Amino acid sequence: MLVPSPLIPMPVLPLTSEQSPLVLLDLLFKLKVRDVMTTDLVTARRADTLRYVQALMKTHRITGVPVVENGRLFGIVSMDDIMTALDRGHIDDPVERHMTTTVVVLEEDMPLSFGASYFDKYRFGRFPVLNKDNSVVGILTSRDISASLLLELYKEYHKLEAQVQPPAPVGAPRTSLQVRVKQNDLENAGKGAHEIKRALAARRVDPAHIRRASIAAYEMEINLVLHSSGGTLRTTIDNESVEIVARDRGPGIADVQLALQDGFSTANDWIRSLGFGAGMGLGNIRRVADEFSLDSKAGGGTTVRAVIRLPPPVPEEAPHAGG
Amino acid sequence: MKFDDVVRTLDAAVVHRGAPAEGADIRHVAASDLMSDLLVADRHGHLLVTSLASDQAVRTADIVGAAGLVVVNGKNLPATMVSLAKELDMTLLRTNLRMFEACVKLGKALGA
Repeated sequence: MLVPSPLIPMPVLPLTSEQSPLVLLDLLFKLKVRDVMTTDLVTARRADTLRYVQALMKTHRITGVPVVENGRLFGIVSMDDIMTALDRGHIDDPVERHMTTTVVVLEEDMPLSFGASYFDKYRFGRFPVLNKDNSVVGILTSRDISASLLLELYKEYHKLEAQVQPPAPVGAPRTSLQVRVKQNDLENAGKGAHEIKRALAARRVDPAHIRRASIAAYEMEINLVLHSSGGTLRTTIDNESVEIVARDRGPGIADVQLALQDGFSTANDWIRSLGFGAGMGLGNIRRVADEFSLDSKAGGGTTVRAVIRLPPPVPEEAPHAGG
Repeated sequence: MKFDDVVRTLDAAVVHRGAPAEGADIRHVAASDLMSDLLVADRHGHLLVTSLASDQAVRTADIVGAAGLVVVNGKNLPATMVSLAKELDMTLLRTNLRMFEACVKLGKALGA
């Protein structure tokens, strides 16, 4: 049966329409059927029974089995053929008496766009693939196409990402990062600091200054998680400095001068069991920062601001001569 | 001290071997169960030793730019800690030695 059923309005693989993204269409033309097809074939011989083919389908979880001998394709048995055989009581007959012999095939060097169009054109679930000598070398299913396209798109995505984000934007414009930090969410504490570290490394800031900014940000994040009811960590990076501001919604610090003394802490046992609460955090932020300020009052919010001034970026290494 | 020397000295299991560990020359060690203490130490490329088996120990090692993290006392490492070490490519070792023994052995190996 080669006529498409009018009862199925949706295309099986809606990949060749004008709405498909260009990158997908490009991949469909670039890839060949042989790049995508399954080569680990499950086949039957003409003398095998339909019951044997039914068992093959069950074991390998497939819905169609080509009938092949010495590489030559004689026909194909589909799930429909098996259901008909069960219905009419000829499931123990040899395959050759009931297989579909008018088989639509693909050639291995056809573009994948051609292969994809067959799924909509013929409504079959699979197409055997032949080489130039007309030997069966594989089978193509819509699943093969989807899986390959996903894989190729993933590769393309990484290529594009590399193009969009050059690794060393020396003299790059201002970068702003903002993360929300939740109370007691220790699992995510430090992610913001890690992002700042990455952003500074991408700008080729020297390791000592990256370390100072990362420590300040991390201490602020930990403070937000363990001592506040939640807040935000906002970072602004330009060529001269990194400014990190932690702002929370409370409960505020009753005695700011006391809080700044190393060793003073209001941490409870839970916080201490996590390795924090030694009363070093605020002092450590002040130590690594070139500018530091703390604004707080009991019952209100707290704002901690630290600025680390940056030296000129490390110049880009000259490319190696030759290859 | 090379990374392999650390592993030998502490008879440690290598949970994750991060790329920065290759060729690293470890000259300093900071040991504490308080992350706040480790965040104060003013150096990088050093080895952190702790008995705190938590994600935050890995985060702290990453933030201070440590060459690796050793968890002592044969502590079981949570799966999230191991996966974070892999994600951040932070070298993570585990030893059955106690904190004091580990520090003494590392100190001797460093000629302290």
